[in-house]
Amino acid sequence: MREKVFQIVSQVMMVPVEQINEQSAAQNIEAWDSLNHMNLILALEEEFGARFSDEQIMRMLDIKTIIAEVTEMASYAGNAG
Amino acid sequence: MNRLSYAQVIGGLDAEQLAVLPRLKIAILRNVVVEPIVPYLRRLAQGIGFNAEARFGGYDNVYQEAVGGEAGLLNPETDCALVFLRLETLSWDLSRNFASLKPAEIEAEVERVKEFIVAAQAGIRRQTQAMILWCGFELPVYPALGIAERQRDNGQTAVIEELNRFLRAILGRQGNAYFVDLNLCLARIGARNFYDQRYWHIAKAPYSREALREVADEVFKYIRAMKGHSKKCLTLDCDNVLWGGTIGEDGLSGIKLGKTHPGSAYYEFQQEVLNLRHRGVILALCSKNNEEDVWEVFRDHPDMVLRREHIAAARINWRDKADNLREIAAELNLGLDSLVFVDDSDFEVNLIRSLAPEVEVIELPKDGAIAYREALAACGYFDTLTITREDAERGVMYQAEAFRKQMQRQYQDLESYYASLEMALEIRLADEFSIPRISQLTQKTNQFNLTTRRYSDADIERLAEGEDTEVVYLRLRDRFGDSGIVGVCVLRYESERAVFDNFLLSCRVLGRGVEDAFLTQCLKRAVLRQCEAAIGEYYPTAKNNQVKDFYLRHGFELVAEGDGLRRFKLGLTTFARSEPPYFQRIDSELGTFCNRVRYRKGS
Repeated sequence: MREKVFQIVSQVMMVPVEQINEQSAAQNIEAWDSLNHMNLILALEEEFGARFSDEQIMRMLDIKTIIAEVTEMASYAGNAG
Repeated sequence: MNRLSYAQVIGGLDAEQLAVLPRLKIAILRNVVVEPIVPYLRRLAQGIGFNAEARFGGYDNVYQEAVGGEAGLLNPETDCALVFLRLETLSWDLSRNFASLKPAEIEAEVERVKEFIVAAQAGIRRQTQAMILWCGFELPVYPALGIAERQRDNGQTAVIEELNRFLRAILGRQGNAYFVDLNLCLARIGARNFYDQRYWHIAKAPYSREALREVADEVFKYIRAMKGHSKKCLTLDCDNVLWGGTIGEDGLSGIKLGKTHPGSAYYEFQQEVLNLRHRGVILALCSKNNEEDVWEVFRDHPDMVLRREHIAAARINWRDKADNLREIAAELNLGLDSLVFVDDSDFEVNLIRSLAPEVEVIELPKDGAIAYREALAACGYFDTLTITREDAERGVMYQAEAFRKQMQRQYQDLESYYASLEMALEIRLADEFSIPRISQLTQKTNQFNLTTRRYSDADIERLAEGEDTEVVYLRLRDRFGDSGIVGVCVLRYESERAVFDNFLLSCRVLGRGVEDAFLTQCLKRAVLRQCEAAIGEYYPTAKNNQVKDFYLRHGFELVAEGDGLRRFKLGLTTFARSEPPYFQRIDSELGTFCNRVRYRKGS
């Protein structure tokens, strides 16, 4: 799942996947603006069959939080993604 | 249509392929965030051979961009101006605060919105002649006054409907401007899927991805029609498409077709097919069967909606369907890319996709026949911006064509066959009644089209009114019926020469000597206007090779060649040519000058 998240972030932000790591965040990826944030969340939802709340969305501004939220979502669904 | 994920849509965009395609410049004016629509638009554009480039006006800057035009968003190169003007942003009172308004306040706010629409629309048109596609206001799903709403005519729904009517009227008066009905998209997928309240609140982006995909599909029906990519012919398989079961095995009484389940699904599908025929779509059959079995169903089954006379061409045999489709296209004088293919067999669908990829395929839903009708209605491939008289009559015209072919076999030589058709030509200068069909012909004709210059209604009107230009049309009738307007010639007069800016004939009337008579008439016109020479122009395209030597065959000489354009010249000082003898009547108004003032706007 971690790799899938990296891949999606890389694709949406147009950054090579090798440059994505646990420290990647909106602050250090230039293309991560409000529009691409929306694209990212929708791509994650599409990939993991999840649906995040508006408050979660506003929190998911770095890879660590994203992975945490996706993991939590997946465990609720009883499915590791 | 395709139900790819967003990532697949983006992944399907081939940058290398797109780079070589002509641009399609879409300017988006909006008061909400709709940016995620772009990949859908680009993907649809790629499908018809364009590299779409979307530029956005600033958020909630519709008026500034339309009227001010400072940002340079709209310009003469724009192909399409797409407007998303959402009522929630434009008028909080009408959209969300309606219940508190007094009648006078409603009226005042409606007036303000109307003035805004008028000013924005006029501002866009001042900056570009591009097609304007304007998304109408969405109706509230939970209207302000609840169930009392529909019992009165000044409820919120009624007021928004009135605004939409007003908007449609303004766009209609403008020309090349169209109302896009978002309520259709909303109804198709349902409000719970259409809106994403999270992004409305976070980012002023009201529409979900699914909604934007649906809206992009709808918007693209207009763009496809504008670019001349509407499909012309629906080619149908028979077994398990027009009826359930296999006629060869189940027999006439065993196949499923009728007004009750399960045959009703096929009955309704056939009705939808027939509806397309009334809109001008040509119908053909491509089926692996014994031919006589299929025609027996058409003739003898009591619940057939389609009749044999509705079918313009058929290949019912055991051969390869790709070859059969090529033959059907050739028989109907159409390009393969004008065909849409429907077949329940994955094998046949894949065969066509690999061997005849120009043909568009409608995939039948896996839900089975109950979903066929909607799949056909939803495809949008056949949509045209207007429906002319010729469209409504097309099916009958193709039927007449079949009779002509039958007759042709009875005659030894072509000329006596032509004479037997009792053809009558009517040749006139464009007037307000003929303009929609004339521009439609310039947009749709591909094969017998010497320069393939595409013109809008407004272009033809300008050419018809111009001092040094004339637009001539040809109408053909014969003993089998009226083919309507089937030929167009655009003439440009420059220093005692008549330049044939374009010369085209509908593929339906080729092979009857009509082009000779039409050309002769146009040349006579040039002589009457004291031209010393006629200049014919030929601009090659992927499809008009058959007319490459048209002017040479008619006595012109090649005088110039460059940038793809070839120019031919015919001296007119000793012109003495007449039309072929086999026409019963040629009714032409080209012989007199007084007709020149015939074109009057709005008369």
